[in-house]
Amino acid sequence: MSSSTKNIKLFLYKNFPVIFLFVVALNETDFNYLNLKYFSFNFSYILIFYYSVKRSQSLGYIYIFIAGLFNDVVVGTPLGLSSLIYLILCGAAAYLRNITLRPSLIKDGIFFLITILITNSLLFIALNFIFDYELQLFDQIINITFTFLLYFLFSIIFNFCENYLMSNNNVR
Amino acid sequence: METSRDDFVIALRSAFLKKGAQQRFSLLSLIFFSIIFLILGSLNFKTTNYVKIAIEEIVYRSSFVVSIPENLLKDNYLVVQNYLNLYKVNEKNIAKLKEFKSKNISKRIIEYENIRLKQLIDDYFVVGNEIFAKVLIDKKSPFLRSIIINKGSKNNIKLGMAVLDDIYFIGKVVEVNYTTSRVLLISDINSKIPVSLEPNNIQAIMSGNGNEKGVIEYISETNLKNKNEKLIVFTSGMAGLYKSGIPIGKIDKFFFSSDTGIMVDFYKDLSQLKYVKILSFKKEFLNSTIKVEGNVSKADIENLKNSKNENINFLKKQKEISGEIRKKLEDQNSLLNKQLIKLKKENKKLNSLVKKTNIISSQDLDQQKNIKFLELNLLYGNKCSKNNFKNILKKRYKIGTPEYKACVLNKGKY
Repeated sequence: MSSSTKNIKLFLYKNFPVIFLFVVALNETDFNYLNLKYFSFNFSYILIFYYSVKRSQSLGYIYIFIAGLFNDVVVGTPLGLSSLIYLILCGAAAYLRNITLRPSLIKDGIFFLITILITNSLLFIALNFIFDYELQLFDQIINITFTFLLYFLFSIIFNFCENYLMSNNNVR
Repeated sequence: METSRDDFVIALRSAFLKKGAQQRFSLLSLIFFSIIFLILGSLNFKTTNYVKIAIEEIVYRSSFVVSIPENLLKDNYLVVQNYLNLYKVNEKNIAKLKEFKSKNISKRIIEYENIRLKQLIDDYFVVGNEIFAKVLIDKKSPFLRSIIINKGSKNNIKLGMAVLDDIYFIGKVVEVNYTTSRVLLISDINSKIPVSLEPNNIQAIMSGNGNEKGVIEYISETNLKNKNEKLIVFTSGMAGLYKSGIPIGKIDKFFFSSDTGIMVDFYKDLSQLKYVKILSFKKEFLNSTIKVEGNVSKADIENLKNSKNENINFLKKQKEISGEIRKKLEDQNSLLNKQLIKLKKENKKLNSLVKKTNIISSQDLDQQKNIKFLELNLLYGNKCSKNNFKNILKKRYKIGTPEYKACVLNKGKY
């Protein structure tokens, strides 16, 4: 393998989560244009939680904070709310990382579910009762459900990408 | 027990307070920072607002660039979908075109009639200031339905301006930056639009349901005479923000539901917005001239001009005819005046004649009475006069007195 390919792989391996996070925050990749009535998920939650658990050094807290601000501006929620939610998610992931001895995808997934239930409840309370936004509980539940279910799928995909970028390249 | 609690505290402290190798801030400090941001934002703190505007300007532009790959993917997906449905859509379109062509004629007639009637009642027409904008970001978040457009306060965009796609109402401006603005779509739960439902002219408020439908609120079932009737939803222009009569959507029998309320099917697919039209409306009173709405096409303006010219010609002809009629009436009037004077003179003559004949007839009557008196006097005069010696003891009258005359006329009876 040539050194340039190695360098690209190394760069991607190091910065892929941050780049992806900003792309997601600015773009809100959620496939809503498919017009599926009962389908929505929060990809940024999955990304932040996965990388905070697996490779905490790849996503700096300050980047997450800025990405949250960007997301607020794009979605139209009060400035700072998404940052708060993302940081709480990071805190939960950091706690999970501290208490875990033997990592398991199922346990991570269940902990992720509990965390997004709490964070989305916070989001709902803040938007509905403090900032006078009207949200539908049913939509939130659908969002939480699909975010939880897709966590497993995206974990496998991220894992595969990491393995690919690491292959033949001792980047760690 | 004590140990496990300690472990929990240690893990939690480590998670929230420990800084990583390349971390400048701990998690807790950033959380506090975002809470401060939230509080200052909700208090409308000036500095936060400036920061927010600056972030928005950067984010909207960069979001547009970042969205290009996804938009490409989305566009391709839609193109493929369109190709798959092409034949069916074409057949439907041909049928609809025929229908619309026939409807268009009657619509135009109604439009002109409407303009004339509004002119008649001195109603106002609303002139719109049109600004066209490109949709920069269309996020379709599951919770908030809004779009970002590439026009802001620099282009005279103001809060509350109506946003239209073609002729259909799609939302209002809720946030204005220097070069960008945010439009709250009518499908958002937070949008409340005063609408009227036709036919029946029912007034209501419409909000979004968070998906691609609207919900009619503040309406009782008794207002709906026929539940199966198809209704058209227009802006009612109640709050004075928007012009009345901008079409929004329709209510089909299918969408009446006791759980969700009355659902409105929008005319426009709000997920397919590319270019939009921002309009501001102001009231203008019409006296004699017809003013045309800002969103009317050139062809419509020409048609309207033609109809105006036709109207002027028509009025000119009407004026000529009325002039002729006036002249005829004046001639007739002078003739009648002359006749009237003649008749008055004749009337005077006749009156004098009548007076004369009346005098003559009264003289005749007197003469007749005198003749009768003389006749009766010959017969009964002796019975009434005092001169007769035989009647000296009886009541008698002196000749020539009215009592004597009455006695004679009564044939000697007193």
